[in-house]
Amino acid sequence: MNPSQDQRFPELGRLTRRRFLARNAMGVGSVALAWLLREERLLATPPNVPRNPPSFDLLQKAPPRPARARAMISLFMHGGPSHLDLLDPKPELSRRSGEDYPGDITFSFVDRASKKLLGSPWKFTRHGQSGIDVSELLPHFSSIVDDVTVIRSMHTDINGHEPSIWFMNTGRAQPGRPALGSWLTYGLGSESQSLPAYVVLTDPGGHPVDGVRNWSNGFMPPLFQGTVVRSAEPRILNLDPPPHLKGALQEQNLAFLAHLNREHWARHPGEADLEARIASYELAARMQTAAKEALDISGESEATKKLYGLDRDETREYGTRCLIARRLVERGVRFVQLFVQGQIWDNHENIRSNLATCCRKTDQPSAALVKDLKARGLLDTTIVHWGGEIGRLPVTENHGAAEKAGRDHNGQGFTSWVAGGGFRGGLCYGATDEFGHKAVVDRVSPNDYHATLLHLFGIDHAHLAYFQNGQSQHLTDGKPCRVVKELLRDA
Amino acid sequence: MRTSTPSPSPAQAPEPAWRHRSSPFIARLGRLLGLGLVLAGATGQASSSLTFEKDIRPILKAHCFDCHGEVEGPKGGLDVRLRRWLVAGGDDGPALVPGKPDDSHMVRLIENGRMPKRDKKLSAGEVARIREWIAAGAPTARPEPDELPRGTSGITEEERAFWAFQPIRAAEVPVTCDNDRARTPVDAFLASAMAPKNLRFSPDADKLTLLRRVCLDLTGLPPSREQADAFLSDTSSNAFEMLVDRLLESPHYGERWGRHWLDIAGYADSDGYSEADPPRAYAYKYRDYVIRSFNDDKPFDRFVIEQLAGDELAKATQANASALAVARAEDRDLLIATGFLRMGADGSATDALTDRDAVRNQVVADTLKIVSTSLLGLSVGCAQCHDHRYDPIPQKDYYRMRAVLEPAYDYQRWRTPSERLVSLQTDEDRTKCADIEAEAGKLTAEREAKTKEYLADALTKHLEKFDAALREPLRAAYDTAADKRTPEQKKLLADHPSVNIHPGVLYQYNAKAAEDLKAMDAKIAEIRARKPAEDFISVLTEPADHQPPTRVFHRGDHRQAGDVVPPGGLSVLGAAGQPVEFPAKNPELATSGRRLAFAQWLTSGTNPLVARVLVNRVWLHHFGRGLVNTPADFGMMGEKPSHPELLDWLAADFMKHGWKLKRLHRLILTSTAYRQSSRRDPAAEAMDPENQLYWRKPMQRLDAEIVRDAMLAASGALNRKMFGPPVPVRPDVHGQIVVGVDKTEGDNKMPVETPLHGEEFRRSIYIQVRRSRPLGMLHAFDAPVMEVNCERRQNSTVATQSLILMNSQFVLDQAARLAARLEEGAPSDRPGQVRRAWLLAFQRSPAAEEVAEAVRFLDRQIAHLASLSPTTVDDKAAKDGKAKVEPRATPERQALTNLCQALLTANEFLYVD
Repeated sequence: MNPSQDQRFPELGRLTRRRFLARNAMGVGSVALAWLLREERLLATPPNVPRNPPSFDLLQKAPPRPARARAMISLFMHGGPSHLDLLDPKPELSRRSGEDYPGDITFSFVDRASKKLLGSPWKFTRHGQSGIDVSELLPHFSSIVDDVTVIRSMHTDINGHEPSIWFMNTGRAQPGRPALGSWLTYGLGSESQSLPAYVVLTDPGGHPVDGVRNWSNGFMPPLFQGTVVRSAEPRILNLDPPPHLKGALQEQNLAFLAHLNREHWARHPGEADLEARIASYELAARMQTAAKEALDISGESEATKKLYGLDRDETREYGTRCLIARRLVERGVRFVQLFVQGQIWDNHENIRSNLATCCRKTDQPSAALVKDLKARGLLDTTIVHWGGEIGRLPVTENHGAAEKAGRDHNGQGFTSWVAGGGFRGGLCYGATDEFGHKAVVDRVSPNDYHATLLHLFGIDHAHLAYFQNGQSQHLTDGKPCRVVKELLRDA
Repeated sequence: MRTSTPSPSPAQAPEPAWRHRSSPFIARLGRLLGLGLVLAGATGQASSSLTFEKDIRPILKAHCFDCHGEVEGPKGGLDVRLRRWLVAGGDDGPALVPGKPDDSHMVRLIENGRMPKRDKKLSAGEVARIREWIAAGAPTARPEPDELPRGTSGITEEERAFWAFQPIRAAEVPVTCDNDRARTPVDAFLASAMAPKNLRFSPDADKLTLLRRVCLDLTGLPPSREQADAFLSDTSSNAFEMLVDRLLESPHYGERWGRHWLDIAGYADSDGYSEADPPRAYAYKYRDYVIRSFNDDKPFDRFVIEQLAGDELAKATQANASALAVARAEDRDLLIATGFLRMGADGSATDALTDRDAVRNQVVADTLKIVSTSLLGLSVGCAQCHDHRYDPIPQKDYYRMRAVLEPAYDYQRWRTPSERLVSLQTDEDRTKCADIEAEAGKLTAEREAKTKEYLADALTKHLEKFDAALREPLRAAYDTAADKRTPEQKKLLADHPSVNIHPGVLYQYNAKAAEDLKAMDAKIAEIRARKPAEDFISVLTEPADHQPPTRVFHRGDHRQAGDVVPPGGLSVLGAAGQPVEFPAKNPELATSGRRLAFAQWLTSGTNPLVARVLVNRVWLHHFGRGLVNTPADFGMMGEKPSHPELLDWLAADFMKHGWKLKRLHRLILTSTAYRQSSRRDPAAEAMDPENQLYWRKPMQRLDAEIVRDAMLAASGALNRKMFGPPVPVRPDVHGQIVVGVDKTEGDNKMPVETPLHGEEFRRSIYIQVRRSRPLGMLHAFDAPVMEVNCERRQNSTVATQSLILMNSQFVLDQAARLAARLEEGAPSDRPGQVRRAWLLAFQRSPAAEEVAEAVRFLDRQIAHLASLSPTTVDDKAAKDGKAKVEPRATPERQALTNLCQALLTANEFLYVD
């Protein structure tokens, strides 16, 4: 039957046959947003046993409400960057450095635990028109403060790395749930059908704590899993040919395969499935080209490369990934997340030297990303997030000599910053106590943060549901939370 | 013979793969509407043929009964279940004025959108039908009943008359004019349906095509060399029948057809529900039971009874199940069969459940869904909250069926998955275990003493770092139990957090001590490891004499439990006005006997659904479409049978001859319909574009498992070992789920390779089905992820599949193995290698041009590969990370590998002709 005559799908009449095949080959469903379908399903299924649609796809889906953001880049700084030394200056802490902290503290490493306050060894100065205080460790960030919202009242209330990462990334401090990127691509699909919708740029130094679970699709279909783009070959799983087939060899292979398939099809005229599969191989090959093109930064100008610090050893690697992140969202990728190796921000000791090293690696590229997106007109619709899962304690973690001092974990309060996609620029929001231990003013939980992100994407967090074994699941996990409207440009 | 043909005309556009993915509700509504129009048209009369019962009531039932009929005290005082009550009306006066649609309140309310209040509004077609009926005087088919039971929509004569609820009648095999082609009764039915359209069967497919078709269909594996030789050299007239017989006797038959049953049974090796998705270590015994039952051609009625009530056949109770299972292998198998009722996801062991009872009731609901979709072919689950909107399934029927499960699944005396396991431990082993545990206990006590000692030492040493004056108060505070400490002591400890030494942080103070304790732990574990392994089976049992009441849950909510209902089946299958009920207690059994009674009701031979549903499933798998093409919905919203007489004849024959599946396979497979070519024919296609009349054999894509298994078979790696615990799966370094032991090392959880010794090459049915970890290779090709069960698989064609076929390690490995196999078989004979490659991949010899083309491809590639200097190939990646560095293949081997990969991923490989 000619699909254009199928009255149930009148929109098909407008599709060319070629486009129809291409869509078919991508596994197009005519399924609308799963979470909007619920209304219709009420008739057919008991209301307390919701079901997902029979299949899933990554086609672009319009959000139910006007959206400010269409893409997001998360610069995830796991390990726990010391907010006290970077973005949350505490004069009282400096003044009373060396005295005992007056309240209770939960330590992770009790053997080295101490209640001696440790003032930041770094100087803070005001920057930009907004006059936001920034540590001297972040000279590049200082130049973008007017485009950034600094949230000084983040908290997970858990000290451990993994549970806090799960909380920040999936909405619950337990393993196994779909990551933020999975939820976004489940809800909105992708603007590009020749690039993965959800990309994870891993560090050549290795995976973050808890490995691949950081970009897991949880209980959702694997379609919504983060696609890892490694900094070395194979850069994308199953996408790139293995090195020994790359280039002319795989082209010859595919040409031969296409020849076999055409001959076979000629013996089975009219079998549309066979034709669709031939088209799907062509599409797969296009994806290879598209991804290769997106990952190839050789065409970027020298000025751009310099902006990201590609000319210097310290920043080259992270800068390259930030630049690739921009190229990906430029080409329609929905969500990109960058991880750093291991736990570089986990400065239990020698914070003086170690924290400075982390900043030298990431400060310039992170700021460059915001500047570059802005210059290209992409910042308005792209959210950039910088931050970790915890912060650090105001007291010293003692290793004897003063210069060896570090700071232990602090899930009670820490700082993240966000930019673009409808967030207000030049804003400092929330506050920790006078020593920077606990978030006390305008507290923002991971659930609040997620609700706010979804809001900017045009989605009410309570409406974005996935049905798992008869339960309705949400990114915000049914916890009390709110869209933090104060952070938004037009609330 | 194959002939070349021009490319197909655009008119033969593909059946869109996504058609089935549109909202089932919309599609169903469309069908409902269509159904009404067809009925009206079929009578060939004008609007006067519309009656309340046949045409109007189904609309009102779907949209209005919920508030205006099924509840006590209908909204607005209006009950719309009878025409005369519509006329009588409610608080707002009459709802219906016969002959005057414009004056009828119900039409006004519907048209101005005020009714129905919830749910979807009526379609324009439905409104038009109501208007037409009212204009015609609002006729009924017969005098309406004097009264209706309260709170239910009841079942009408029209609904009872629905085809699926009619007894199965074995029609006379038609005499067909196409006798020269009809081989079997199946053909006679199909041919007589084709005759009015002047359609005929296509010519028989050639022997090679048939061979591959039937081998993949029955065993899920391509034909072996021996199978091929035996069939191709057999020139007798019944060579194909003999082949079918041989394949039905193959042990691989059970692996292939058992898998179909596992889909509808919702088989999984994990509990699901929670993120942890705990593995179900013993579920595989049910999988093996299914494979054995299929291979033994166990009569299907017996198979059904065993799965629903094997425990009652064995006279087992919760208390004696273990003893019976240990004592008699037969009883053990009967108990394992009830694993069918343990397939649903079960999150009741999950910690910190917010609504424990809801989770338990969900297990019961999922189990009922599995039972009803697999055996009754009806969406009984829709009646959980209210009467079924479309089918004559009152809510009470749902709870009658639930009462069948209640003694085993009592949500108020619940047993978690592990509590439901039945041990296979003998008394002798039990004694041995106790002795070993006593030994371990001794060492555990030693360890505890040692821990205390170490903590004390660490404290003493640590206190030395403090002022002498502080030491004693600190020690005193530390030694005082936490709840006995004075405020001063508490403050003291809070101010000196590093004094709070406990076992968990001992390593931070004395690494050696911690090591020492760890070594003791290892020793304790070592002792415990000597215990004879305790084996279990996962079964459903009832406690003796346990018949908790089953109550109808208002709106499906267990917190609103209403009337008690007895166990029973579907009322629509019983005598008019009489529910189907079973005794609450079988006096001959210690258990209730309800499931046994239910199973016997299903398989008595008079149940019109069970045999039809089963026969239809078998047909579906052989032809890619069912005679009823909604295999789990034989109700009003399902599709009507394309060949009702054939369906009934097959169902009757199936029951008459002992419910033997293998006989049914023979009946279907030896038909001309099955043997005919898949070739399309423009003339026939113009008459019947969707081949609903079976004038050709449809092409089918291989199922996910078969894609993988067939690749392993071609490469020679396939491990044909049957049965046993599942081969584990794990996420690889990228997060993709692959076959392997889930072991990681380090903080960043890098996967550790553990050798599997050939287990990784076992057939896909033996690979762990972890709900949260679908194997990448299988999932991409539409293997189901078991939310509950899979009524029918999708058949997708997506680019991710192509990428897997082009670049995944699994496919590359199989291509390399096949190439090595070819080189060994015929070193340096390129045409010979090509011919064997074709045989192994496609089970046919290549034509001369194909050989020439392939050899040209090889030559071109070899030349290209030889021209590459070793440095041209990017080795950096191989050195990167933990990627395996494999020795580079010779140009000859690499070219041959590439050829093999093309064959293994070609459409000719992936589709069955």
